[in-house]
Amino acid sequence: MTAAREAIYLPVLLLTVTLLGGLRPGAAVLLTPPSLFSLILAVLLVGVLVQSGAFVPLRVMNGSRPALANLNGGVLVAALLVASAQMFSLLTPDTGLPRVLFSVYFLVLMINTMAASPDRVRVLRSLAVTFGAAFVVKFIVLDALSDPAGGRLTRLLQVLFEGVTLGALTQDVQHPAAGYLAFLVIVMFLVAVALLLSALPSASRAIVVREADVPEA
Amino acid sequence: MNETVVRAAGLGITIVYAALIAWLFVRQPATFAEVTGGLTSAVGAYRIDQQAFDDGMRYFRSDQFSEARAAFERADPARRDALTQFYIGYAFYRQGWGRFYSDDRLYREGLEAVNRAIALAPEGRLVVEEPGQEIRTADELKAELERGLVVEPSDFNPARVIRPRR
Repeated sequence: MTAAREAIYLPVLLLTVTLLGGLRPGAAVLLTPPSLFSLILAVLLVGVLVQSGAFVPLRVMNGSRPALANLNGGVLVAALLVASAQMFSLLTPDTGLPRVLFSVYFLVLMINTMAASPDRVRVLRSLAVTFGAAFVVKFIVLDALSDPAGGRLTRLLQVLFEGVTLGALTQDVQHPAAGYLAFLVIVMFLVAVALLLSALPSASRAIVVREADVPEA
Repeated sequence: MNETVVRAAGLGITIVYAALIAWLFVRQPATFAEVTGGLTSAVGAYRIDQQAFDDGMRYFRSDQFSEARAAFERADPARRDALTQFYIGYAFYRQGWGRFYSDDRLYREGLEAVNRAIALAPEGRLVVEEPGQEIRTADELKAELERGLVVEPSDFNPARVIRPRR
């Protein structure tokens, strides 16, 4: 990883995810900080990234690096944690039954991924699918079901779902820009995660031979 | 470029950017003017539009309160000036004041404005020395507005109709 990527590009990208992920466009623009539960999910996600080798904290923070480089590494880890929390906050519906279901879904998924211990590529793919699916459900399906200006079929489905879920399914109608913004944030986060310092490929690992192991001629 | 320079610059950029994001989350500015106004006032460079403020005062003195508020809003688009916010609150109070009842909606907006003025004033104390003006502190204005928003036994006193507007 170049110094610029570690010290500038990645922290700035992750902080931008934090900023844009908290932005709720509407009549009054709101900035929402990540919820407490999303912080827990973020810790699990970073754990998954470390376990899979998608991110190796020891490569950005260790005793052999200068203090300034370690500071850059620390800032990167903190930015990754906050951006991850913001991602979960962004993709979790704001109220009702969907909020509970999404929270449980993310929690189980993170624990399951940790238990499966997949490699870097599989974790990145899994993350893209997880966030993509959550995006579709929150910003397309739930939004369509909550839109009071929808057609007859939508209104019929709304009545049906509200009856079944005792009104706990519908969400506040979002600004049309919210979905596009969320899509951009997801892409930025996935790019940032893909650019993180991963484990060294096996071919480039150093082979250390101790003198005692060398057979005498 | 030297790696140390890149790392130091990166650290500086990141810290400034993170501080800006934290500030945005705490202050919740609703408009771009509030963002720029907040940032300029943080470094002591924020100035109101004096011409618009003077226009607002002229309208205020001639009881044209909607016009006065529009001029005050133009003078202080970022809502960072305590005196302007005080007069916005005062304009809401005077417009909402009635001999028989007060307009709760205007009083609530006035209360929001005066609360902003108190929050912006040094140590929360705002005194306005204006000749002929009945209410001279933000605390008095706040108390008047709060009194107008609650129903109390004195509201039913017939002598109330002859009380003066402050």
